[in-house]
Amino acid sequence: MKNPELHGIGTVFRYTVQQHYKTPSIIVFLVILFLLAVCSMPAILLFSGHEQEVTETQIHTLYLRNESGFPLNAAAVQADARYAALTVVETDEDDEALSERVLKEKNAAAAVLAIREDAVELFRSAADQKKASKGAKDQFTLRTVYGENGEVTSADAETLNHVLEGALHQSLLDSLAITEEQAVTVQSSAVSQVAKLSEFRSGTEESSTDTHVFLNIGYCYLLVIICAMSIAHVNQTCMEEKVSKLVESLLVSVSPTALLAGKLLAVALFIFAGFGIVGIGFFISWQIAGRMGGFSFLVPTLERFLQFSISSIRISGGTLLLLILCIVIAFAMYAGLSGISGSCCSKTEDLQSASFLTMFFLMAGYLGGAFAPMFENDAVNLFCSLFPVTSVFTAFPNYLCGKIGLPVLLLALVIQAATAVLLVRTAGRVYKMMLLYRGSVPKPKQIVRMLKEERAAAKAAAGKEAQHGKE
Amino acid sequence: MGFSVTELYKKYGDKVVVDHLSFKMDQPGVYALLGTNGAGKTTSIRMILNMLAKDGGTVEWNGGPLTLRTCNVGYLAEERGLYPKNTLMDQLMYFAALRGVSKDEAKKRIAYWAKRLEAEEYLYPKQEGKKPVKPKKADQLSKGNQQKIQLMMALLSDPELLILDEPLSGLDPVNTDLFKSIIHEEIDKGKYLIMSSHQMATIEEFCTDLTILSRSKTVLQGNLAEIKKSYGRINLFVKAEQKLKDLIEAAGVTILSSVGFSYQCRVTGEAQANALLKTLVEQGITLIAFELREPSLHEIFVEKVGDVHEES
Repeated sequence: MKNPELHGIGTVFRYTVQQHYKTPSIIVFLVILFLLAVCSMPAILLFSGHEQEVTETQIHTLYLRNESGFPLNAAAVQADARYAALTVVETDEDDEALSERVLKEKNAAAAVLAIREDAVELFRSAADQKKASKGAKDQFTLRTVYGENGEVTSADAETLNHVLEGALHQSLLDSLAITEEQAVTVQSSAVSQVAKLSEFRSGTEESSTDTHVFLNIGYCYLLVIICAMSIAHVNQTCMEEKVSKLVESLLVSVSPTALLAGKLLAVALFIFAGFGIVGIGFFISWQIAGRMGGFSFLVPTLERFLQFSISSIRISGGTLLLLILCIVIAFAMYAGLSGISGSCCSKTEDLQSASFLTMFFLMAGYLGGAFAPMFENDAVNLFCSLFPVTSVFTAFPNYLCGKIGLPVLLLALVIQAATAVLLVRTAGRVYKMMLLYRGSVPKPKQIVRMLKEERAAAKAAAGKEAQHGKE
Repeated sequence: MGFSVTELYKKYGDKVVVDHLSFKMDQPGVYALLGTNGAGKTTSIRMILNMLAKDGGTVEWNGGPLTLRTCNVGYLAEERGLYPKNTLMDQLMYFAALRGVSKDEAKKRIAYWAKRLEAEEYLYPKQEGKKPVKPKKADQLSKGNQQKIQLMMALLSDPELLILDEPLSGLDPVNTDLFKSIIHEEIDKGKYLIMSSHQMATIEEFCTDLTILSRSKTVLQGNLAEIKKSYGRINLFVKAEQKLKDLIEAAGVTILSSVGFSYQCRVTGEAQANALLKTLVEQGITLIAFELREPSLHEIFVEKVGDVHEES
């Protein structure tokens, strides 16, 4: 390496990484994290009640109590090959009597189809016809009951319930004498949007505010975790040599710049490797869940509950690269900030007061990033995307949701990168200046004054040395 | 060739902590930097090693600026420390790698110094029974043994310039002798050594040239033998079996201190000492000791630094 200031980075990096992974507690922590990630999706699948549909049923008799007033075509149930032999017995018995039947007969299940009281009114009111037709799909309740001690399993009952749901739908269409296609056509809704002319011309699609808010909060969570880890690790790493009183012995072998850079790179590796391990865990978990019956229900469920539309997000290979770049820049910014605060500490007790400013910026950025989309204002989105404190939290999700264009995102990234470089360089200077400092944590004003003095002294010394060289 | 410091200057705010320090070593040997606490010794060493920015002055090695790249420096800092939770071997290998020593060479050198410093049991612990042996970590060692590891770190790169800041402080007599023998070896190998210590006897044992600093200023500098010679033989020690105070004072000799019938005196020269001896013999005094000698470094140091303290 040509720059003598950077000589030894590789050695510092390797040593720091080696020592980090030699710590048993870290290995145990990573293994636990990996296992949790692997188990996560199968666990969700198991506990969410979405079980794989059965191919062969143990239900021989179904006692059906239809309270809805609408017909439920039993033939539609029997049309499913698995339930061809199913006997459907329509009954008016109350819950108690139905329960008795299910308890006594090991291969029986009961189903109750009802219509909500308010929905009855809704259907009857001519004035609310439009409203009724819009909300009609959620007005029925269909409950299939099975005995815990019988031969009918939960998955079996779940599958039958799905088939009954389909039969009800078909019966409703039949009662109105319309086809499936006609029903879909009538129920189709339109996505309405307001678009800027530039977006209209470029063909970009703007996502809904809910999607924007959801995405921003999710991204902010991810960044806060990464940045908080960065702050904790970098603070510790900047103090390590001071606390162990090894700093002077080290400085005859390696420059402070190389020492800090090597350690920061190692911290970056710990954090991103940790996320990589969790990512691999989730991938394996997804594969296992796929074999268990799939996750096809997850995205629609999320979309329905969170009003989240995955189709309106710009996702491509390029966005993944942008995501990685954004995260790396955010890490560098907060590593620089915590490098400055950590360098000012002489002992562990100093960390709390020294980290206050870094934590303040982190929380300000997080809150700004999380709440900015709620304003639904382009100016706010633009400001948050370009202002360095909030930019790391908002620029990328704003771009994903079409709130800002690629040129603005690139400008935001340039601003973020410049801020990160400035902070890391300042951290390097403060680290060098404060390595031999012992005392209370200096205030930001004092640090700026010391930096100015140091620069002036370095210039003066360089001038004198040059003069001495000429002589 | 050699090592030189010219007009080294440092101030914090308005306070000057190193005031135009200059000295040079034209040939290998030991140079001593002495001074009271806070005189600027450690600050000077830190500036020499580029750990602290200089406000003025130059430090040269073989005619060029001294940097990590131009000079192979070994440094035993006054503030000792090791990574407490890392193994000793890992730390030594790390320091060797930072100094560009290859792995194989580093292993050889560590083995050599471990044997030489009697630290093999910490670096190569023997297995006892079936339990696997865990390598020793720094926090499992006593202060003296940690100091051995730090000296190893300083010596691993086989440095041309060795700077030892208070090398013997905190060591027991056995380890003091061990460290002294190693310093002698390094001198014999033709190394340049700069040593800072409060133990004057140690400095006298090793150094050829010295600078005494007091309150950031150089108060005395030069070759130790010449400095001593310049003072002449003015220290007189007299011990008898009876009281001599009146006889000594009558001869015009100054008594510096006395314990029982022993007297530490200051004479103007050999003539005055001879005159006193003649008087004592004529008076029939039985003398146990009568020694005329040059002042010790301790005495010179106290005199020089004391002068500055009195002036201030």
